[in-house]
Amino acid sequence: MAARTALRRALRPLRSAIIPSEQQLHLARPFSTTLPSRAANPSSSSSSSSTPEYAIPNPARPTHFGFETVTEGEKRERVAGVFTSVAESYDRMNDLMSFGWHRIWKDHFVASLNPGFSPLTSDTDPRGPQHILDIAGGTGDIAFRMLHTAHVLNANPSVRVTMSDINRAMLTVGKQRSAELPASQQAALSFVEANAEDLTRTRPLHPYPSPAEPTTHDAHTHKPEQAFFDPATATGSIPDASVDLYTVAFGIRNFSNIPAALREAHRVLKPGGVFACLEFSKADKHPLFNSLYKEWSFRAIPLIGQLVAADRDSYQYLVESIERFPSQTEFRDMIVDAGFVVAGEGYEDLTGGVAAIHKGMKPRA
Amino acid sequence: MTRPAATAPVLTRSIATSPNRPTSRRKYQRYNALQTRPRCSHQPRLSAISRRRYHSHDHPAPAGPFTPAEAALLSAAYHHVPSHGFTPESLALGARDAGLLDISPSILRDGAFSLIRWHLHTQRASLAGKAEKLAAAEKDKPMTVAEKVEALTWERLKGNVEAGIVGRWQEALAIMAQPSYVPTSVKELAQLADEIVYLAGDVSVDPSWYTKRASLSAIYAAAELFQTTDQSPEFRETRAFLRRRLDEASQAGGAMRSIGEWIGFNAGAAVNVLRSKGVRI
Repeated sequence: MAARTALRRALRPLRSAIIPSEQQLHLARPFSTTLPSRAANPSSSSSSSSTPEYAIPNPARPTHFGFETVTEGEKRERVAGVFTSVAESYDRMNDLMSFGWHRIWKDHFVASLNPGFSPLTSDTDPRGPQHILDIAGGTGDIAFRMLHTAHVLNANPSVRVTMSDINRAMLTVGKQRSAELPASQQAALSFVEANAEDLTRTRPLHPYPSPAEPTTHDAHTHKPEQAFFDPATATGSIPDASVDLYTVAFGIRNFSNIPAALREAHRVLKPGGVFACLEFSKADKHPLFNSLYKEWSFRAIPLIGQLVAADRDSYQYLVESIERFPSQTEFRDMIVDAGFVVAGEGYEDLTGGVAAIHKGMKPRA
Repeated sequence: MTRPAATAPVLTRSIATSPNRPTSRRKYQRYNALQTRPRCSHQPRLSAISRRRYHSHDHPAPAGPFTPAEAALLSAAYHHVPSHGFTPESLALGARDAGLLDISPSILRDGAFSLIRWHLHTQRASLAGKAEKLAAAEKDKPMTVAEKVEALTWERLKGNVEAGIVGRWQEALAIMAQPSYVPTSVKELAQLADEIVYLAGDVSVDPSWYTKRASLSAIYAAAELFQTTDQSPEFRETRAFLRRRLDEASQAGGAMRSIGEWIGFNAGAAVNVLRSKGVRI
């Protein structure tokens, strides 16, 4: 609690610096992730047909990057920079930062979704095999677990998984790791580069750096390769109502425009399809634990990043972005706002709220 | 203000036929006078009220614990319980019936346990209607509170038979006994006992409020367990078992009262003897 208050006190001048006036807040919505309450915007809660202004990606609109304020376009590039630089050490760092506990969260996340489960009846599902879309799939932690649950535990080899990420460097690491999977699971796995805010423009993964790497002597004549997906090079798209399960684990925090991504998820899901999100959240319910957790994340994690990955700034961004992400109920309201229905509270706290699972279902039209 | 749960207006009516009504009513009216109007219109008040754990004439019943999406999934899956049990299979088949996908039930946080909660909740909610029927039948020969408790508990046990889940109830008990589900299960049992005692027209506000509910909870849980292995026609053995347990409880209650009276009398007498000896008490 003490750490929180101190943090809030430290942030106050920063906040007032980045929000010049009340009026501008209303006009420009500098924080694209903070939604107006549902009561203030009742028309958008029922359907996504009339997309509100804040849910339309706009590269010039201000948003936040950690504790800084940047434009949406700039955030996209800087997030790309962060993940390009951490791609190689990403898995090792996750283990160090969470004492390996992120594996428990991910296992629980996948087990609670139970992909590939089908009732024991003689007739096959007329709606065809399950298609899982793992957004911000990165190094494949979720996608590989999904495949294992569906193919091995539920004995349902028809389940397909598509791993998508905006960052080629991360997705390339995922592709390399997938080489260790059984062949049948590799066959059910595909990789696409896409921006989650606009899944109508995708392309299959072009590994990073490109296999046809320029030889060293003419390397300096080439511009360094872009690590993140450029929509102009798109060759495919993800059609409407084509996905059974949309998952995003520890990714949605980094999106420039979360409402837009939620509406895009709503678009690609079939009626009855499930949106599932695993993300860091707020542990405010347990003040003592929360202050310890905040100490760890603001002091230790950037230090570990500096020592292990030689990249303090990226991990500083990581903890700041966790702090800026909306609380469980706020994010649940954003999901409902995008047209999903929820069961019960709509979220489940993990480890006292350090992380939370949010689930929503696309209702039948 | 619209009452969130369908049971609430029915409760008021069924209680209106109770012989205890006039005295209790006056007490409640006095209490009502203390409560000013905003009770009916304020959202924050309502959220505070909805935390109540007991029945009340003066507070609206809390909204049902299921969102519309949950209710649609669970009510469809409930039809598959007699054949497939409280399992993910039932949930997936129900989702198919509702025109949804096999993956849709994964939004339910507790999986198959949600289905058990649905059963417990719907059965408990349907008791109010049954109590109304009992009250209508009661006109000819009035029933005592104890008789009504017995009749309502039996109605609840019959609910298990009508839903066709008696053969599946042992599985459900096993799921309910899992540590993370125990608090919810115990709470449901307490709410059921509260519902029965309330619908039977019991208006006690002394410590027996607790002992009545606690003993009925224990008796109900035992009778339900007995029911799962009962092979007799129309579950006659279960009903006999229930009667025996309730009689024992009232006998034990009577014995406890007698002991209490005896102790009270003797303590009073002892004090008087001491006073007669000049002790300043």
